[in-house]
Amino acid sequence: MAESTASKSAAANGVGMEVNFTRVFDAPRRLVFKAWTDPKRVAQWWGPTGFTNPRCELDVRPGGAIRIDMRAPDGTVYPMSGVYQEIVEPERLVFTSIALDDAGNPLFENLNTVTFTEHAGKTTITLQTCVIKSTDKALQYLKGMEIGWSMTLDRLEAHIMKAAKGEKS
Amino acid sequence: MTTDHLSATFAALADPTRRAILARLVSGGASVTELAEPFDMSLPAVSKHLKVLERAGLIARGREAQWRPCRLEVGPLKGVADWAEEFRRFWEGSFDRLDAYLRELKNKEKKHGRKHSQ
Repeated sequence: MAESTASKSAAANGVGMEVNFTRVFDAPRRLVFKAWTDPKRVAQWWGPTGFTNPRCELDVRPGGAIRIDMRAPDGTVYPMSGVYQEIVEPERLVFTSIALDDAGNPLFENLNTVTFTEHAGKTTITLQTCVIKSTDKALQYLKGMEIGWSMTLDRLEAHIMKAAKGEKS
Repeated sequence: MTTDHLSATFAALADPTRRAILARLVSGGASVTELAEPFDMSLPAVSKHLKVLERAGLIARGREAQWRPCRLEVGPLKGVADWAEEFRRFWEGSFDRLDAYLRELKNKEKKHGRKHSQ
């Protein structure tokens, strides 16, 4: 397929670092693959704990666009885009993900390769995410996501403490 | 292009020879000759790699001696480690949610009595 060339050239384009993940899911592969390619389903789980995805558009075909707005529990919206490079249903997905700032400028770009294998009704996902491009603001952005969530947790904790005190008195 | 530390670090780390040089420097400073030893490479070629590492701030070179010993600078590597850690968080969070969601989908399928040949 022509799209594999695109992913190769992207991979050769000075990839500095990669992070690898493996995870087993207790579900058949067709279900897991669908959860990765149906926009309604992706919106249910994409992003850190507590995030929602008010916008999730996936044009799942080689060269097709990805557009997701992630909304943190504190209300901050983290927009991202991307492009599908390779789709081999139900075993392999290759796509870029680009985090954008408020003005729509890219903060960093990753190349993600996801593989799906099934064994005894369970599906193993491997994910390799490579940095293709980045800016100094990128780390701030990623950390911001985390802070957004922990601030909410702090608020929740404060609320619980107050409620617990109220019960005692 | 504007100066960008993280990009410079990633670009510098994108080469196996340079990663091997950094790994060697973990155990202490070394001269260019010492660093070149394990590689089938000319000294100027190794010097070129060292320049890339130095520009990225991954190594520092002594001014005191003529052989200018190289040593590791951990600052930029910390940036890379932080980066990796944030991605780990992002994906582990997503995977936890995906796991819960798949359970939900599986239960729904069972309730609807759908049968699959697998």
